[in-house]
Amino acid sequence: MIEARNLHKAFASKTGKVVAVDDVSFVANNGEITGLLGPNGAGKTTTLRMLYTLMRPEPGSVSVDGFDSVRDAEAVRRRLGVLPDARGVYKRLTARENIAYFGRLHQMPESEIAARIALLSKALDMDDFLDRQTEGFSQGQRTKTAIARALVHDPMNVILDEPTNGLDVMTTRGLRDFLRQLRAEGRCVIFSSHIMQEVAALCDRIVVIAKGRVVAQGSADELRAQTGEGDLENAFVKAIGSDEGLHP
Amino acid sequence: MNHNAIAAMITVMLKELRDLFRDKRTIRIALLMAFFNPLLMLGLISMTEKRVSSQLEKPLELPVVGAQYAPNLVAWLSGQNVDVLPAPVDADATIRNQDRDVILSIGKDYPKDWHDGMPAKVEIVHDSSRQDAQIPVERVENLLQAYSQTMGSLRLVARGVSPAVVSPLRVAHRDLATPESKRGLALSFLPYLLILSGFLGGANLVIDATAGERERQSLEPLLATPSTRSAIMSGKIAAACLFGMLILVLTLVLYKLAFTYGPSTGLKFDVSLLTMSKLLLVLAPVVLLGTTLLTLIAASAKSVKEAQGYMNILVMLPLIPTLILLVNPIKTQIWQFAVPFLSQNQLIMKLLRMEVVTPAEWSIYLLSGFGLGLLLWAVAAQLYHRERLAISA
Repeated sequence: MIEARNLHKAFASKTGKVVAVDDVSFVANNGEITGLLGPNGAGKTTTLRMLYTLMRPEPGSVSVDGFDSVRDAEAVRRRLGVLPDARGVYKRLTARENIAYFGRLHQMPESEIAARIALLSKALDMDDFLDRQTEGFSQGQRTKTAIARALVHDPMNVILDEPTNGLDVMTTRGLRDFLRQLRAEGRCVIFSSHIMQEVAALCDRIVVIAKGRVVAQGSADELRAQTGEGDLENAFVKAIGSDEGLHP
Repeated sequence: MNHNAIAAMITVMLKELRDLFRDKRTIRIALLMAFFNPLLMLGLISMTEKRVSSQLEKPLELPVVGAQYAPNLVAWLSGQNVDVLPAPVDADATIRNQDRDVILSIGKDYPKDWHDGMPAKVEIVHDSSRQDAQIPVERVENLLQAYSQTMGSLRLVARGVSPAVVSPLRVAHRDLATPESKRGLALSFLPYLLILSGFLGGANLVIDATAGERERQSLEPLLATPSTRSAIMSGKIAAACLFGMLILVLTLVLYKLAFTYGPSTGLKFDVSLLTMSKLLLVLAPVVLLGTTLLTLIAASAKSVKEAQGYMNILVMLPLIPTLILLVNPIKTQIWQFAVPFLSQNQLIMKLLRMEVVTPAEWSIYLLSGFGLGLLLWAVAAQLYHRERLAISA
């Protein structure tokens, strides 16, 4: 379970202070997929970065399974599987070596790493390219490698930043099934997207973010009720205040 | 550092080394540098040797202007390993155009002055700014001196005076330079080459492991693992140090082979295993220094390109003491063993000259060398903990 409480984050820039995240709070439960929906630049990536301890909330707090992200950063990272916005893989290593490297950094025994790789490779349909060096991989193959690497230690909480970015239709479908499988296993899944249909198709709870603030949250039905719009797309547009970035 | 941190460090180190050894291009460049180093030295030394010995031993070609005024002198010169050549049309122009190293000019007053027992004027025409003409000029000068002295003595003897009367002083040289220290002189920029390869031998790996990792967008996922940032950075530094030392060992082995089996240079260079190990010990802090300094730069630079831009400055750093010592040679003093680059320079020279390095000098050197490396390591670790580090673009 991941809880974000009153997250704030601002950056200094040449033109002055830029507020990226302005009082974001939400709870992501186990056995649910929570979607962070918002246009590009809404503050989704910065919010996620605070969840996986890359950045400190200033102020605000994050807890993962009860561990505080600042005081117990290491314990938090142990419980998280993260697919960041940056998902580069080592091009001179094979997909298997890339995944195993992260397994070792999680201090897993070699036998367990091998077993997890076999499992993930099957679930993500990676067997064809598992032992090839990743140089020249397609976007989909790279993303799968990065997801497998993020989940090698069998984490209870999974954070994915725009996981379907740049993927073709078939790979996207496969990925959705995979996320549903994670949910069925009782994990807490958070993913961000700027595509409404994707969030609507997958998520149990939706957190709509615009200009660094949460403008609406709840299930699809709750959102419809909150905004008084029968159509989900209209509900989103009303919540965000524009229809910018809501289409693939 | 706890057990987990050490395990993470080793994992990162092994991964970086594996990654590196699959990078054929970087490995090829590193090997090329290791080979180039002793070859360059060997080439330089044998070139110097060849020039010196050929200029000293082979018949000196000496055009003489006005040879007809001093037939005895010219005949005597011919008997002293000198090829007397006919005079060029314009002696000054010949020297200026560097067609000849040196020309002897005998004035038309020479026969008259000689007969009158007055000093007869002979002129050595040369260009003192030409280094390669130094030896021939010196040879001509020495020959004329010898001729002058012999003739002077004969004149005194003819007048019944002992030649010793006009030689109140007899100046002789006692050169205490050992054969080893003479070698050191010829090898004066060997330290620079060795220091440079230690200092920047692992540079590609270091820049790639931090700035490159960020540029390829793989640093952020790496920092999302439970490993601490210090452990990750230390693993990268350890990999680069190991690789740097490997390059150094290879370079030294090649030096040993080149000087043992290479063309004889007349110079013997101390390539005993003991000296080689001592050289490696001298260079170890340089490897740490270069690696931590580059990590620091790579962690604060925005891109690989920017980090590589600093290399131009870093290449110059080890050259500074070599240049200073070249224009202003100073006596070795104990404080010098605490100054980076200067200390290595002095120590390598000492080892090559087979001089004794005292335990005090060793301890000051190793303490300050590794101390500075660890200090830079701590500063780099601080930079690694900045939020900005992970985020590219």
